[in-house]
Amino acid sequence: MQRWVTGAEPAHFLCSPRLSRDAVALELMKTILSVTVSLFLVLPSFRATFADDLLPADQPIPTVIDHYIDLALVDTEVIPSAPATDANMARRLYLDLVGRIPSMAEAQSFVAAADDSKKQQLIDRLIVSPGFIRHQANEFDAMLMNGKGSIRDYLLTAFREHRRWDEMFRELILGESADVEQKGAIQFVRSRAQDLDKLTNETSVMFFGVNVSCAKCHDHPLVDAWTQNHFYGMKSFFSRTFDNGGLIGERDYGLVSFTTTAGESRQASMLFLNGTEVEEPAPKEPSDEEKKQESQRLEELKKNKQPPPPPEFSRRAQLVRVALESQSNNYFAKAIVNKTWNRFFGSGIVMPIDQMHPENEPSHPQLLEWLARDLINNGYDLTRLTRGILLSNAYARTSMWEGEQPPEPSLFAVALPRPLTPFQYATTLRFGSRSPETFASDLSVEDHEKRVEAVETSARGLATLFEQPYDAFQISVSEALLLSNGDRAENELLREDADSLVNKLKVLTDRHQIIETAIWSILSRPPTADEFSMFDQYLAARENQPIQRCQQIIWILLTSSENRFNY
Amino acid sequence: MPSDPSKLKIVKELNRSDILFSLARLPATNQLFVGSSDFAIHSLDPMTEGKESKQFTGHQSYVAGLTLAGDQLISGAYDGRLGWWDVETQQSIRMIDAHDKWIRGVEISPDDQFISTVSDDMVCRVWNAQTSEMVHELRGHAPQTPTRFPSMLFCSAFSPDGQLLATADKVGHVVIWDVQTGSELATLDAPGMYTWDPKQRIHSIGGIRSLAFTPDSKRIACGGIGQIGNVDHLDALARIEIFDWQTGERTHELAGDTHKGLVERLVFDPEGNWLFATGGDHGGFIKFIDLEKNEIIKQDKAPMHVHDVAINEQHDTIYAAGHGKVIVWELKPDETTG
Amino acid sequence: MKSPQRFLSENASGQAFNRRSFLGGTSLGASAIASNMTILNMLKSPALAEELKRQEKRVILLWLAGGPSQLETWDPKPGRPTGGPFRSIQTCLPGVQISELLPAMSQRLQNTAIIRSLNTKIADHGGGATLMHLGRRDEPNVKYPDLGAVIARELGRANSTVPDYVTFYTATEGRSNALGQAGFLGARYMPMFLTTDSKPENLSRRETISDVDHRDRAELQKLLSERFGRGRANATLASHNEAYSRVRGLMASEELFNIEQEPQAVRDKYGPSLFGQQALVARRLIEAGTPFVKVSRAWWDSHGQNFETHLELVAELDHVMSTLLDDLEERGLLEHTLVITLGEFGRTPSINPSLGRDHFASAWSTSLTGCGIKGGSVYGATDEDGNTVKDGEIGAAELFATIYKALGINPHKDYFVGSRPLPLTDPGTETVAEVLA
Repeated sequence: MQRWVTGAEPAHFLCSPRLSRDAVALELMKTILSVTVSLFLVLPSFRATFADDLLPADQPIPTVIDHYIDLALVDTEVIPSAPATDANMARRLYLDLVGRIPSMAEAQSFVAAADDSKKQQLIDRLIVSPGFIRHQANEFDAMLMNGKGSIRDYLLTAFREHRRWDEMFRELILGESADVEQKGAIQFVRSRAQDLDKLTNETSVMFFGVNVSCAKCHDHPLVDAWTQNHFYGMKSFFSRTFDNGGLIGERDYGLVSFTTTAGESRQASMLFLNGTEVEEPAPKEPSDEEKKQESQRLEELKKNKQPPPPPEFSRRAQLVRVALESQSNNYFAKAIVNKTWNRFFGSGIVMPIDQMHPENEPSHPQLLEWLARDLINNGYDLTRLTRGILLSNAYARTSMWEGEQPPEPSLFAVALPRPLTPFQYATTLRFGSRSPETFASDLSVEDHEKRVEAVETSARGLATLFEQPYDAFQISVSEALLLSNGDRAENELLREDADSLVNKLKVLTDRHQIIETAIWSILSRPPTADEFSMFDQYLAARENQPIQRCQQIIWILLTSSENRFNY
Repeated sequence: MPSDPSKLKIVKELNRSDILFSLARLPATNQLFVGSSDFAIHSLDPMTEGKESKQFTGHQSYVAGLTLAGDQLISGAYDGRLGWWDVETQQSIRMIDAHDKWIRGVEISPDDQFISTVSDDMVCRVWNAQTSEMVHELRGHAPQTPTRFPSMLFCSAFSPDGQLLATADKVGHVVIWDVQTGSELATLDAPGMYTWDPKQRIHSIGGIRSLAFTPDSKRIACGGIGQIGNVDHLDALARIEIFDWQTGERTHELAGDTHKGLVERLVFDPEGNWLFATGGDHGGFIKFIDLEKNEIIKQDKAPMHVHDVAINEQHDTIYAAGHGKVIVWELKPDETTG
Repeated sequence: MKSPQRFLSENASGQAFNRRSFLGGTSLGASAIASNMTILNMLKSPALAEELKRQEKRVILLWLAGGPSQLETWDPKPGRPTGGPFRSIQTCLPGVQISELLPAMSQRLQNTAIIRSLNTKIADHGGGATLMHLGRRDEPNVKYPDLGAVIARELGRANSTVPDYVTFYTATEGRSNALGQAGFLGARYMPMFLTTDSKPENLSRRETISDVDHRDRAELQKLLSERFGRGRANATLASHNEAYSRVRGLMASEELFNIEQEPQAVRDKYGPSLFGQQALVARRLIEAGTPFVKVSRAWWDSHGQNFETHLELVAELDHVMSTLLDDLEERGLLEHTLVITLGEFGRTPSINPSLGRDHFASAWSTSLTGCGIKGGSVYGATDEDGNTVKDGEIGAAELFATIYKALGINPHKDYFVGSRPLPLTDPGTETVAEVLA
């Protein structure tokens, strides 16, 4: 630890954003909260929390979220930002639930609705739509496969059938029992089988929120409790996994040995992150002759494109078992809760999201604990968790911060602008460049859905040109160059197709109507007075280029920061 | 029946720590001279466990070509120099600067009158074997490859009738010369022997590494390696092409399906029964080809990458030098095996 | 009526988020002298050229991908069993010999330091390339920036109009090992990556839009984005605005990639090879203000026919490198430009039966020329067969620290990711003082 600290230059941005803002508002908030706070007042502890300390399990998820989030806000005397506007809310929900912006008709109808429960109604409508399944599949495909191959078909089926997350985990690690060709979930393992260190670490990162790779060459530099045993212990679960001509098999023998930093050679045993050691029947090391026969059998199977026979004792199956059994310190449940939270807030309850180890305190330990318990108690239902998060007040805040210094992201006092994922952005660009009539409100639900899906499909190519956001993501100049000068951007977004926005706008003679239609179509909100004025001047100076001026303002809006982020 | 390739067997295998690039044999003996990566020429008798009797020193790089002219040993090396040595005394008779770049090989005419040397300076020189006077300077190979890298002139061969000399280079270009006049008689091309990778790795590999005229001097066999996918390795089948040098017609194209690497040496059985080819990549190979039937009579792995060979007068014993080994094969018919 | 352009320019004063302070660095690098095409023209004025040269530091990395042989370049072992067939030649430095394959370089070592004592341990292409790009092992939980990204950040300008990190990599083999990694510095410092074209993608305006419209739409987009950014202090958001704000400037730098702008005599000197042409573009780029250019030459992985491969590749390297150094020196740029030759590792002293040399990271060489380097020095030594380092052993960290130091960058400065300080080189890493000016 010491080496990370010594010699550090002072970091001025580290100063705590405790803001004493409007004192009256603060007092008011304290009063409002005092009832709940006094009932469940538990000072945030730095160590494991216990079920007894948590809010009751039967509380609604949004209530629990807001309880714990508000508790910390009171503690730090931070007043959160105001709720987002309706238009902002609609855009955020569409992007989060169905991976695209709302059409002009959808945005306008949400803004116009007077119903108090319209947000909940929208969430409940979108979350059962086919668009939600497709978006979930896209997001999980990107997360699980890291751009190396795709298991989208598997994920579409799994999400369509509301498969439990623990079930999906089992399938991703072990393969679906019916999948003899191994084209489905097991691709998760297969795409990494050439590099078992990578398979070990990425499994650990994705399903348990823990990056164990720094314990590979030496004991973990940040976590005292973790030694090389932990890395090789985790690796032991995968050590017998192999790729036989593109099909995954697992042997019944083979041990992992490693060299410690002291130069000592050690044999690893299966050791899960929480310290659970897994026993196994003593492996029989085959003779050279048996090995030769085995490799001949495997050659034969490879030729016939048949999977290797399953082992009598599967170490990977042990990983699934031990990961799901561990009720206390449940890495598996907490990791997906944290990832889901991070997805919708732009920051996890534990940050970085792959450092969920004992030395890295969650910002809201009880909330994480409660949500993990809720997930387990309710059949690892990710849709329930998503819905609960999206219904919270914490999720619904504006991303504008009126004060001087914005609060720490870990307080969730203000929404963070989140860069769109490649699919979200490509779909949004394609969607925003269509005429609003393409998605008119008088279409049948089925026809509307068909058109939306067609736009999504058409965006898949474009999506490959964008980068998957990561922690502290920065947008590259090559993206800006691509959208500024690329022929692809021009052809896919600005061409005068029959149902293009260019076509719609170019025939309008009223400049205000052009501006209004363009901004609603792309940014899902009404133009501001300033914007009317700026765009009006731009258009007025180009009366003699009726088509190009429309292409240009569409370009401006499509490539604007506002359209690049879910804010 | 003087020899039977189907009876091929190793009768001697000597391990060495150096790489042997060239080999000459004292007629009617087992006495060999080998040109080494240690810059020296060693004389040894493999049948007496290779006990080294003599060493010839003076070159400053790999000794790539060796031949005997009477009682003189003539050597060419990567240092560009050509040496004459007294076989008995191991004394240097003379050493001349023969080429500006590496000498890749030294050959002697059937009448022992001339020697030819080829070098990466892309010139073939013909010398009087006894006096070391230069007889011809043959320039017929482009100094650069089409992609403007230095080319290499790997090999030459005299025809059995002594009238012709062939030279061949990295890009697969072959020139047939008139030994008497030094004039160019014909050119041939075997571009399949040269791989330029313009995309993946942007460098080249290959070239014609061996030449041999048929016993009637009418055709020329060229040895090398086929087109290579990964030019980091000698990763293609060993390749032989045979041309009628007068018409330019390619009469044979042999790559087999087994052995990879460079064909470093080609030798015709004087009876015309077979063409012998050897060479290698990380390992080595040896093969005998019946040209009439256009089929392989016998092929096998060699214990090392073979760089040079000598064959005895009866054509039933092959002495080979290569990477870390000297090998003696016999291909004697049963009744004469002893 | 006001023209839209004037309206926009009057309003186009957004406040850019200060990423440098976010990252916690204190150095703003070299002085922020305007660097663009006009500079190229202004260089004709000797006074200004002098001024520029004094202040700006640059790096050209000749990335020899696949692993060149130290024995056929900087550390020959003639006459040893491992030495191969090449001779060594006397250089302009008393007592110093290098391979005969580098005749031009042998007479130009007065500005060069040769380091013969790298022991970097990693001998696979991917791992070795990562190590020699980052100066440290890759760690999955921290994405470190590579040399180019660090130099771009330290020596470039935040709003530079020329690209500040350009990579050429023409061959396909090994390209994915050399893609560039900006890591925690962010995509702002990713290289402009050129493969088969010597000109970057998407740098020219499409004919379907006029230059005025292209500019005006960008300005209005910028204005909108800046308004959106108010009240949303966020590094990722700021990077979006910044990326677009660099587009027009980069487009203006397109001509830097066009060597037809150079006199024929200069082009002839560099020669017709792609490597030579790209080295010439590199010179044009650094002259115009680009702080880091990597010109890759792949693929040196001579498992078979090592000597013949090196006959081709070292001959080319000798020509291109010596031409580049001469050109830089004639222009007075060499003392401000560090030219590095480096690969992911060297090659085995032992020669395999295909007359190849294999991967070898235990005792190999690199060269540093120009800015901040003690010219004419040789550091470190290997044993007589080149199997081990016997003197002055260093690893990637020490080499990188030395490179930073030569450029006036404190090798021990910290970057911050969140609250975690990340030192530029691992604590305790020493520079090689013997090769520093």
